[in-house]
Order: sequence, then C-alpha cells, then structure tokens
Amino acid sequence: MSGPLLQVDSLRVTYGAPGRRVVEAVRGVSFEVLRGRCLGVVGESGSGKSTLARAVLGLEERVDGRIEFDGREVLRMGRAEIRAFRRRAQMVFQDPMGSLNPRLKAGAALAEVRRVHGLAKTRREAAAQAADWLATVGLDAAYANRFPHELSGGQRQRVNLARALCVGAEFLIADEPVSALDVSVQAQILNLLKSLQETRGITWLLIGHDLAVMRQMADEVLVMKEGRIVERGPVDEVLARPAHSYTKELLSAAPSVRQALDRRAAERAV
Amino acid sequence: MAGEVDLCLRAGRTTALVGESGCGKSITAAALGGLLPRGMSRDRGEIRWAGGGERGPGKGLAYVFQDPGECLDPVFTIGSQIREALPKEDRGRARERMTDLLRTVGFDEPERVLASYPHQLSGGMQQRAMLAMALAGRPRVLVADEPTTALDVTVQAKILRLLADLQRKENLAVLLITHNLAVVAEIADEIHVMYAGRIVESGPVEMLRAPRHPYVQGLLKALPRLDGAERLEGIEGSVPPLGRRPPGCRFHPRCARSRAVCAEREPPWTACGPGHRVACWACGDGGWA
Repeated sequence: MSGPLLQVDSLRVTYGAPGRRVVEAVRGVSFEVLRGRCLGVVGESGSGKSTLARAVLGLEERVDGRIEFDGREVLRMGRAEIRAFRRRAQMVFQDPMGSLNPRLKAGAALAEVRRVHGLAKTRREAAAQAADWLATVGLDAAYANRFPHELSGGQRQRVNLARALCVGAEFLIADEPVSALDVSVQAQILNLLKSLQETRGITWLLIGHDLAVMRQMADEVLVMKEGRIVERGPVDEVLARPAHSYTKELLSAAPSVRQALDRRAAERAV
Repeated sequence: MAGEVDLCLRAGRTTALVGESGCGKSITAAALGGLLPRGMSRDRGEIRWAGGGERGPGKGLAYVFQDPGECLDPVFTIGSQIREALPKEDRGRARERMTDLLRTVGFDEPERVLASYPHQLSGGMQQRAMLAMALAGRPRVLVADEPTTALDVTVQAKILRLLADLQRKENLAVLLITHNLAVVAEIADEIHVMYAGRIVESGPVEMLRAPRHPYVQGLLKALPRLDGAERLEGIEGSVPPLGRRPPGCRFHPRCARSRAVCAEREPPWTACGPGHRVACWACGDGGWA
C-alpha cells in the first residue's frame, strides 16, 4: 500500500488560559507522511516540533485544523475509534528512563500495555509474548526480568520501542530518540529504527535537532521555526541546497569533526 | 572510579577530556578543584600548579557546568550573584567590574542583565552570565563541563566561539569536558579520550583525523555524518558500569581486534607521533593492527 498514512492540514495549537495571553505554539502547519517512509522534523527548542507531535496523537487540547490518519479524521474520532488509533500510532520519547515505570520489569511493562489494549487475556499469555517482542528489538529473553535501572540507556530505549510495537503500532513518533544516549550506542539504536522501517514497514515521524541524524534516517524533512515550517523537501536536497537562512545557520552551526578541523587548519594558514 | 589520569593544562590552551557517560571525566574535573562528592577520595597522585601549591576553586580555578538554569539561583538577580563571586579587592568598584565582565562575555546592555533574574534570560544568555561569574575571580584555569550540551545548536556555536575568544584574551588554561567530538574539533588544542576510567589515547586535536585506538576510531565511525553512508557503524555492547569493569584493557570485550593479552594485562603507552600516544596492545610495538 502506498499513499499518505497521515495527512495534516493547517494545524494550529495554542496554549494559555482564557483571558490570559495566548501563545500560538504551532501556527498553521500542513504536511503528509507516506506509508513506510520517515519524515523528519527539525528545529530548536521552542520551535513547536514536540507540540506538533503531541497534537498529531490527539494529546493537545486547543487544536485547530485537520489531522487525518489512514483516511479518518483524528479530531472527530469516537471512543472506540480513538482506542484503535492509539494502538496504531505510538510515541517514543527522549528520556528512556523517564518513560518507563521504575517498578515494572521490562517483560511486565510490555505485558501491561498488551492487556490494557485487550491483546492478551491472561498474565501468562502476555508474559510469553513479551519475550518475542523483546527479540524484535534485539534483546534476549532474559531481559524480560530486568528492572529499568538494571538496563543501560540503549537497552531501555529498546524496551520503549518494543512496548510501542507490541500493541501493533504502524506509525511511530520518535521525539529525539537518541539524544540522551551515548555516541557508541546512538548508532545501534538508529540502525534499529531503520531496520524496523524496512522489515516491518513502520512509518516514522522523527523529531530532532541534528541534521546529520536526519540525513541518516529521514526521506523527507521539515524545518520548523517559531511554529511554522520554513523549509521542506527530500532530505538530501535540503541539506545540499538549503534555501532558508535558518536552515543554513543550522547547517553551519553543527560541522562534522573533519569540517571543523579543516576550518581551523584554513584559519591557521591565513 | 577514574584511574591514573595525567593532564597538563597550559595557559592559553584548551585541553579536552572526552568520553561517554560514566567514563570518569567529570569526576576528574571535580577532583581538580577538591569538589569530589562525599565518600570519594583522591587516593594517589598530585595536582601541581606552576608557581607551587594546590589551589581550589576561587583561587585560580573556576567552573562552568552544563545546565546554567540549575546553577543560577532563581531568587537573586544576576548582578547580586556576580557580586558574590568578586574577590575582596574588587568590591569597592563592583559595578564597574561587573559591567566589564558582562561586556567581555558579549552582552551589549550589561546594566539590564545585572538587574535581571535568571528566568528572564535565555539559555545562551544564562550560560554567558555563568561565564562572567566564573571569570570574576580572575582564574588561571577554567573547567567547562559540557558547557554547551543543554543549548540549542546555533546558540552552542556562539558559546563555543566565545569560550575560544576568552581563552585567548584572558590567557586562560581551559579544561573542556565533553562527549561531543565535533565540539572538541572546533576549539580544543589537545585531546584526551577516556574509556571506563582510563585515558586510552592522547594527542594534539589533529589526531582526530587518524586516531589509533579502536575505541576512538569506533566513536568517529558511529557519528552520523552529512556525507555518511547509509548505515552507521555502532560499537557493539555498551560502556561497562562501575564495579563490572573488565580486567586488562577495559575496552577489550567490545573490541574487534582484541586478543588474549588484552584480557590479561593493561596495555602500556605507545608513542605514535609528536605528543600523540595510545594505550592499546594491538597498535603498540609488536602489535597486530
């Protein structure tokens, strides 16, 4: 199947109590994500990228515009429909520790969400399935008996991914999924995200600030600033020929190791 | 926690101590100023200052930390917080020195900043204010522990440029603690890479073009690049936690080149260029890499 899985049209999100100053966090944003593809959203803190993600999942209250998931309008879904939607669309957050219950072992964390969504009848059944899901994210069945504090950062993020996948997610929003991880582990997790896209056909909305990560993961990219999209396009094109001054600034602000060394060598030569 | 770390900080130079979480880089920095947490001690070795003696913060050593929002007191103005950091002899002309300090760190309207509370400043401005406070005591050494990690990319670049400027103008010895190799490449002169409590490779920053240690090579390959390949090469496994550090070379369980000797004995230092040395059996004399 191809075509868009998610279509967002003129989305606006505002914050602020009635009578007080209203802050418009997302100011009229439209985009679509094709099935099995990865759309990257880049911007600095305060650009509205995380609010955008929350709004897409129906987690924001003051939302205006249209969000269509698989042809159905999210903002108008009834209770049964929203439950199904929440199973199919899941989120993975930046801090892998903060998003796991410290009192639940990894296996129990997966079993819990499966029971909540009515996908497993008994505890025993849920526990047996948990091991399979841990295997899909590259964790051995023994990890089912570990508490979050007994796992490394990378392993915790794998558990978070398994928890999202085990209820049947097809669409995943990952908000800075590797920025809290060590460099040597980041690459492992990014490769895992990529292989989940390829083998399971997962559709991604990847939120981040690192253009090099986007280059690695995303097919298309949106650059956000102050609640608006200032540039968009296939990721290679945007990086090779950035049109907006802000995108250019982002690119020059984060050079690679080699670029930085070359720049300094050139400065010394002058 | 951290075992046998040799560092030499020179005036007007930036030395980077690089490593992943739990490698001991921040503990090393804390030990320099006598700021080790309760229950931890420096059990061997010494810290020597040119001119003699051991000195802690406020007497030649100043710190800037990762999260400026956490370090500033929310209920006092920036002015009153900088005033506290001024040495006694400057108290008489406090206002003049404070405005000078704020100008040095790039504020155009120092008066307005002095009267501001931390929440009225952006993250980048807060970090500038922290720098001003650190410079108030006229330190010879500035320890910057992940000074830009909490900031946005574009702000990060500005703070790094400022740090490089200050180091030159004030002739400071800067110890930069970071996990970010690109930051190191931008401002450091020398670099020491730590893994699980030990320095594994040291040298001039240009060594990042061709590092010798398999761990350092792995770190560079694991970085996503704008011109990179389709698939990243991560390093298998993860950093061993304290108490489960392997014997011999601490990197050997994750190293593709390890042999029997790596698990048995700690590798000695091997010189591999001017100021460049590496602790690795595979790339040492008689090695196989």
